[in-house]
Amino acid sequence: MNKILADKDLTRRIEEISDQKLSDCYQCGRCTAGCPFAEFMDVTPNQVIRFMQLGLKEDLLKTQGPWFCAACLVCQARCPRGVDIPRLMEAVRTIHLRAKEGLIDVPEIDKEFLLDAPPLAVMSAFSKFTY
Amino acid sequence: MKLQYYPGCTLYTKAKPLNTSLHACFNAVGIELAELPHWYCCGTTFMLARDNRMSLIAPLRILAKAQQEDGKVLVPCSICYNTLKRANYMLKENTEVLDIINEHLEESYDGNEIVLHPLEFFRDNEELVRSKVKKSLQNLKVGCYYGCLLLRPQQEIQFDDPEAPTIFENFISSIGATPIDFPLKVECCGAYLVVNSPDAAVEASYKLLRNAQDNGADVVVTTCPLCYYNLDALQGKMKKAHPDFKEIPIFYFSQIMAIALGMEEKKLGLEQNKVSPYEILKEYNLL
Repeated sequence: MNKILADKDLTRRIEEISDQKLSDCYQCGRCTAGCPFAEFMDVTPNQVIRFMQLGLKEDLLKTQGPWFCAACLVCQARCPRGVDIPRLMEAVRTIHLRAKEGLIDVPEIDKEFLLDAPPLAVMSAFSKFTY
Repeated sequence: MKLQYYPGCTLYTKAKPLNTSLHACFNAVGIELAELPHWYCCGTTFMLARDNRMSLIAPLRILAKAQQEDGKVLVPCSICYNTLKRANYMLKENTEVLDIINEHLEESYDGNEIVLHPLEFFRDNEELVRSKVKKSLQNLKVGCYYGCLLLRPQQEIQFDDPEAPTIFENFISSIGATPIDFPLKVECCGAYLVVNSPDAAVEASYKLLRNAQDNGADVVVTTCPLCYYNLDALQGKMKKAHPDFKEIPIFYFSQIMAIALGMEEKKLGLEQNKVSPYEILKEYNLL
């Protein structure tokens, strides 16, 4: 039961980085319903927000969900409470990246792909997934 | 007439066909695209962390520079368009940010430079476009794929309805082709996930292409160089994951327009398409 202890500092930090109010979300799940990448996530967008609301730091920082967010903003357009969910996902990524925990290792990327892909794909991925 | 324009890095590299066909289309309607001198990268995707102000510097310096030349700038790349418009909005909405940013800029900037997409320009000059059409594309059924960046967030982008946009269909009608509506036209192709989670991009792109085909599209047309890559280059992988998938040619909107305006083939850049567009164009006597 020790995990239930809320990390209020984490909640505050997420709200600060994202400029969103976590109590605005009433867990209707519409973000997850419309998310094109929810099927690839271990923890879905509304569950990620639930971790944030409860201050479950360990669970939140372990989930892979936010790394599958392409910031397409379908959830943002559909949220009945006006929560900008991609900003919350970015807040999780930002916490990782500022602790020097990136998702991708640039030298590991397939060279053939790099030569073929448009620069904006590669640069976007670098800015979202590397520190 | 001259129109100031910001190409962004991809139009000079992987999206050359978009660049050359767009120039040809604008020339055909009597407009010369005047490139912003000494431009640089906008920083690609808009950073969503509110305390990340560094990422606003590049887009705002571009806009400040553009404003010195002219009050509006044409931006054909969807990522650049989105990033520049969002940076503009952020600056206008938040005076604290405005002050911080202006301390870092050589020239002061107010967030008022108009960022214009070619589809907005062609919408506002529809009669001019119609009057230049030389070839009938009436039989060509075109799936109009918007993607994310032109539509969302609506409050900041103000391009069209984020769930049921029509500007692209109207454009396709104005050049004489038949637009096809399909529900997934506003959904994500996987974007930059193609770099680290290609399976997610393959699946997302497959779903929306399949959706376009199910609604009768012969071809799918897009504005964004990243969508273009995912929809075109990933079709081999889509076929592996879904053996019943039938390839479908992808075009930039300006390539289809250039065909309608009767441009010669070498201005279209069709040879760069991974999925051959020639069969369908020959079938409808468009080449």
